[in-house]
Amino acid sequence: MMGLLAAGLSIAIAGCGAALGIGLIGAKSVESMARQPEAIPAIRVTMIIAIAFVESIALYALVISFMLIAK
Amino acid sequence: MSASSEPLLVLYNLSILGINISITSAVIVIWSAALIVFLLSFFAVFQAKVVPGKLQSIIEVIYEFFDSQTNELFGEQKNRWLPFVLALFCFILICNLLGMVPGVYPITANINVTAALAIAVFLAYHLAGILSSGFGKYFKSFIPKDVPLWALPLLIIIEILSQLARPFSLAIRLFANMTAGHLITLTILSLIIIYHNIWIAGFPFLGRIAIGLFEIFVAFVQAYVFAYLAALYIGLAIQEH
Repeated sequence: MMGLLAAGLSIAIAGCGAALGIGLIGAKSVESMARQPEAIPAIRVTMIIAIAFVESIALYALVISFMLIAK
Repeated sequence: MSASSEPLLVLYNLSILGINISITSAVIVIWSAALIVFLLSFFAVFQAKVVPGKLQSIIEVIYEFFDSQTNELFGEQKNRWLPFVLALFCFILICNLLGMVPGVYPITANINVTAALAIAVFLAYHLAGILSSGFGKYFKSFIPKDVPLWALPLLIIIEILSQLARPFSLAIRLFANMTAGHLITLTILSLIIIYHNIWIAGFPFLGRIAIGLFEIFVAFVQAYVFAYLAALYIGLAIQEH
């Protein structure tokens, strides 16, 4: 029972952090795209890479919560 | 720790010196992925034309993209390390895409495969550093100059930890992304069985299409991130003089 709670809490807290991070990345990228439309391709590639990094941090927590459930 | 839905079938039992190296369904998928990468790149440049055909232009786009991305990282040693990065990208991409075919064992959702790839990168970037600046000089470059003697043990511990974190995060990133994709697909499709209602069955079906398209995108992005990080580590090791 506590394991299930811990699994849910771990992915929930990690999801909060990752959502905040992806939101900040998206906001800043849109801002800089609007300011400098000629740099859109470069910004888009960098944005996708940054989002992939943030997302993988949330997925670490997903792995931990699956390990907690499987235990 | 394998959380994949596909069972691992043992096709042929084999062990050498007590180490189990049985031919399993995952091994067959790895071999076929390697064969596909080889055949694609071989037929793309077998009879290279000035005006490229379909296959040749795909390979050329991938090559030119990585060529422009790694120009500053590799510098003069590009011919030595660009093939490694390109091979990593193509192999991981084909593995990720093969894992999406129903019935095929998803090998990049297995921690052993991604760990092997990450260890290959770990060895490769140390080799790059040793080849470019010599054995003693490369390992001396880990310690910054003018460091007081009392801080040395702490610095060595931090350096060892950060070196070990690199292959670990590479392996876990690819594994977690692919596993999460397969598990989300499984969860969405099992909604059909959970609700047991024919009027709801269409929504998981449409959701599975959307998730599938997103998973193709993730397959490309993760292959690119893996290859780019490998290039970044090799570039850092080359530039440490």
